[in-house]
Amino acid sequence: METTLLLNTSLLLTLAIILTPTLLLPMSKTSSNSPTTITRTVKTAFLISLVPMTLFMLSGTESITSYWEWKFTTNFKIPLSFKMDQYSMMFFPIALFVTWSILQFATWYMASEPHITKFFFYLLTFLIAMLILTIANNMFLLFIGWEGVGMMSFLLIGWWQGRAEANTAALQAVLYNRIGDIGLILSMAWLASTMNTWEMQQAPLPTQTPTLPLLGLILAATGKSAQFGLHPWLPAAMEGPTPVSALLHSSTMVVAGIFLLIRTHPLLANNPTALTLCLCLGALSTLFAATCALTQNDIKKIIAFSTSSQLGLMMVTIGLNLPQLAFLHISTHAFFKAMLFLCSGTIIHSLNGEQDIRKMGGLQKMLPTTTSCLTIGNLALMGTPFLAGFYSKDLIIESLNTSYLNTWALLLTLLATSFTATYSLRMTLLVQTGFPRTPTNSPTNENNPMITNPITRLALGSILAGLLITSYITPTKTPPMTMPTTTKTAAVIATALGIALAMELSTMTHTLTYPKQNPHLNFSSSLGYFNPLMHRPNTTNLLNSGQKIASHLIDLSWYKKMGPEGLTDLQLMAIKTSTTLHTGLIKTYLGSFALSIILILSTQT
Amino acid sequence: GEPQMAAYLTHQQKVLRLYKKSLRHLESWCIYRDKYRYFACLLRERFDKNKDVKDMVKATELLKAGEEEFWANQHPQPYIFPDSPGGTSYERYECYKIPEWCLDYWHPSEKAMYPDYFAKREQWKKLQRESWDKEIKQLEEETPADGPSTEALPPARKEGHLPPLWWQYVTRPREIPM
Repeated sequence: METTLLLNTSLLLTLAIILTPTLLLPMSKTSSNSPTTITRTVKTAFLISLVPMTLFMLSGTESITSYWEWKFTTNFKIPLSFKMDQYSMMFFPIALFVTWSILQFATWYMASEPHITKFFFYLLTFLIAMLILTIANNMFLLFIGWEGVGMMSFLLIGWWQGRAEANTAALQAVLYNRIGDIGLILSMAWLASTMNTWEMQQAPLPTQTPTLPLLGLILAATGKSAQFGLHPWLPAAMEGPTPVSALLHSSTMVVAGIFLLIRTHPLLANNPTALTLCLCLGALSTLFAATCALTQNDIKKIIAFSTSSQLGLMMVTIGLNLPQLAFLHISTHAFFKAMLFLCSGTIIHSLNGEQDIRKMGGLQKMLPTTTSCLTIGNLALMGTPFLAGFYSKDLIIESLNTSYLNTWALLLTLLATSFTATYSLRMTLLVQTGFPRTPTNSPTNENNPMITNPITRLALGSILAGLLITSYITPTKTPPMTMPTTTKTAAVIATALGIALAMELSTMTHTLTYPKQNPHLNFSSSLGYFNPLMHRPNTTNLLNSGQKIASHLIDLSWYKKMGPEGLTDLQLMAIKTSTTLHTGLIKTYLGSFALSIILILSTQT
Repeated sequence: GEPQMAAYLTHQQKVLRLYKKSLRHLESWCIYRDKYRYFACLLRERFDKNKDVKDMVKATELLKAGEEEFWANQHPQPYIFPDSPGGTSYERYECYKIPEWCLDYWHPSEKAMYPDYFAKREQWKKLQRESWDKEIKQLEEETPADGPSTEALPPARKEGHLPPLWWQYVTRPREIPM
């Protein structure tokens, strides 16, 4: 009894602490130190959120709290209800820890920015929306959080709004998310009309959920989590500042789609079509993103495609009906992906804005802490045994191997795993090793503790998080215990093959062969030709058909063809035949008179 | 004086532009410096072999063949410097470059922070108003009938006149605003 009270109080206290700067800071007189205040707020919130997490870990307490009810109609009520189960209670400390580190980093990274307070406010608003999404028990509150993170993503990607590419990227993010929102609203409407509630726990489990609302949910996840088909916005979102990429587009916002599917997994669990769709879509996304990452040269784009690939892997896990494992991958992925972005931010700032890995090199000696953490992050991403990524990634691939569901998805995922190792190692080799190819007078240093503290904290998290989470949270489904040795070591073998491929390719770049284009390189470099194929033709067709409807259908058809010109067309052939008779000769006319009189007389008699 | 920019490119300019962009794309292909230097020397030799061709027809044909070879061998993601058009921090600070007429709308307490500038600002604005008609007259006289051929502005011709559009140049924002 007391544990639930403590749980609720501490979690709501966390939320209240985060809301304080938004309410109090606009009224404060001294606005010089807002970034540090906001960082300290988030740190306090993180420490407080450890209380409910430990409570849950030790006693297994969960709770659903409903506060106030919006009586929409007499039949349909929408309460303000919070669900504190393992997902929200584990996500809160992780999200707050990652956000704290990113905000601390951003006080250094955005120090020369005139509107730094506004930036921190945007990040804080985003965090509030994301936490509302996590803790929501009904679809209404989840939708509020969903739209909130979408809006803040738009504002933050287009932070430097003088730049044309940033505005395009922000618009792309909003439009692709909107297409996903169609699916979400569809499934919300179905849920409201059939189950008469938007609460997750009140939806009774039918024997077979109809596929249409599940398709809506999968569409929503495709839009928000950048699966193949609605993925171009995620690499374009790298136009925003690096703290934005680290927070939104690697750890928190893009996992909102997967989180939705985790929350609604009882509905998904008994529909094999939807599960297979998730599996195949996830496998395709992970391979496609990994292929595109192989030839990217911008360090942020490589990490963006890596995020996209890991999101595909999470979707594969949902398709295997293992939501808890997907959540584990979300948690571990947040640590090392945010750390990778922060390391890349340090490198970019140190090299005076240089983002191309072809102009980096030898940074191991110049930025030791950053590059060590970059290596740790890449190793965790590859699934090196006993780092954070191993606990989730290896389990996913083992389950995929032993599930006998879909060989094609398995092959794609294994190929993507080896590609992950390849592009991570390529990035590491080109950025850290070798002779420096950077311009010589860049201010390369990491003397500021604002840089090293967040990165080392996240590195610690990358190493320990997998171990800690798996040892304290009992899995709800039994993981596969016995399998042949090749199946058990499949992920590690795929990674090792990827590493071998990367080493071979890097030796090849040193040899003096004349470089030229080839079709595979072109496919990977231009991101599978997806953007030009989809962006122009869709809009052109839509606008063309709109023009045709407006001008051809309405103007031409109704006003002309159904009216005067139509009549003319009908009569035209008869008119053309009969004009030959209009010769003007009297004899022809007398003859036609006689013919018609004879015809009339013959028909009358 | 210095050579003015004309409205068309000379053959030399075209060849040099081809050389520079092929070197840049070669640099995008060959990441390591020693490999780049090897192929750059080979490319230079290919250009130097034909540098004394006097026949303009043959030279233009060589240039055309060179451009086509460049198009076939270009890098799909060439290296662009961050501040160049298409780079990652191009126009990044454009939203902070506010025009100078906003200074007129500052509050007196804000203007008091920069007293020496605002003391003289009215005189500068008066000077600009006075010389505006003369600048416009000079520009109207000097541009040809069917529009200007280059973007270069002429200098001041008469004694006591200021160069045309000097105010826009003097009050332009910094490259990287504070």
